[in-house]
Parts: sequence; structure tokens; C-alpha cells
Amino acid sequence: MDTKMTPFNKVVMFAALWFVTYTICFLTLKKLSPDTVTGIILSLLPVITFALFIYSIIKGVASMDEVQIRVQMEAVVIAFSLALLMIMTLGLLDLVVTLNKEDWGYRHLVPYFFIFYFVGLIISKRKYAIDNEKHD
Amino acid sequence: MKNTIKVERAKKNWTQEDLAVKIGVSRQSVNSIETGKFVPSTLLALKMAMVFESSVETIFQLEDTD
Repeated sequence: MDTKMTPFNKVVMFAALWFVTYTICFLTLKKLSPDTVTGIILSLLPVITFALFIYSIIKGVASMDEVQIRVQMEAVVIAFSLALLMIMTLGLLDLVVTLNKEDWGYRHLVPYFFIFYFVGLIISKRKYAIDNEKHD
Repeated sequence: MKNTIKVERAKKNWTQEDLAVKIGVSRQSVNSIETGKFVPSTLLALKMAMVFESSVETIFQLEDTD
């Protein structure tokens, strides 16, 4: 049996590793309120697993063909635009209304970036989807 | 840019999947190129010409709008 991991599986594995590290650090910081030095170390710990996650994505993209790279690029462009739009709007709103830090703190924005990427991916995948009706 | 990939495939009796395997890309790529959604790189165009035993100019032609 071939036990070699595909680039996609590696991305999923490192994404899971980063998510687990991030969640553990987040819960520890939130529930246990450690001292400042330990807190800073715990805050920076997910950087290591996130770097591994990003490295696996870069390696994965390198193994894709031209159209698959284009799909990823367009997904990232859409995600970046939406993220920029969100930050810009929140920045302007912050001048008029006081945004609750418990709802709109930095960590609350993280999931939106992933959501925006998947929105972009759905849009670009549809654009380059296989047309089965016209071609075999 | 228009292309004659479908015609060339028909001559060889190849499916998109067959062509994709021969030039080392996904079927999605072959489909996108064939339907004109994506313009391939020179390398991929040359690979296609090679497997079809044809020239790049035969497979890909410029249109007035290009």
C-alpha cells in the first residue's frame, strides 16, 4: 500500500496541527490567565505551526498545474479583497460607533479570513468547472 | 484565442482524461483550455502539439480580438 501523503493531505494535517495549537493556546490564555512571559510565549507558539501550515500550502501549490494555480490565485485575490473591505469598513465604523472588543477583537476576525478564502475558492472553482454537457 | 483541441482529440479518439494524463495535467485544465476559459503556457501548448504530432499554430489560432 502506498503510504506517501499527498500535498493536499499534508496541508490538511498541518492545518489541523495549527488549529489544535491555536485552540490550546487560546483556551489556556483565556481560562488560566498565565503571567505575562508565559502569555507571550503561548501567544507566539501558534506561529511555528502556522509557518508549517503555510509552507505545506506553498509546497502544495508548486505541485499543481496551471489551471489549479489560477484557481488558487483567484481565490486568494477574492479573499484578500473581502478581508481588506472588512478591515476598511470596521476602521471607518470604529470612528463613529464604539465596536465591542468582545465581538470585534483581532481574534474574532481570524475566522472571516478563512471564510473569505473558501468563498473565493467556490467562485473561482465554478469559473473553471468542467463542462460535462459539451465535452466528454 | 481559438483552438482545435477537440478535433485533434477526436482524430486520436482520446477523452479529455486521456489527453490530461499524456500531458501531465488535470482534466479540469484540459477542459478549461479546450473551452477557451484558460490560455495555456508555451510549455503546455508545446506538449499538446507534441502528443498530437502537430504544430502549436495548428492547434491554437489567434482571433481578431486577440
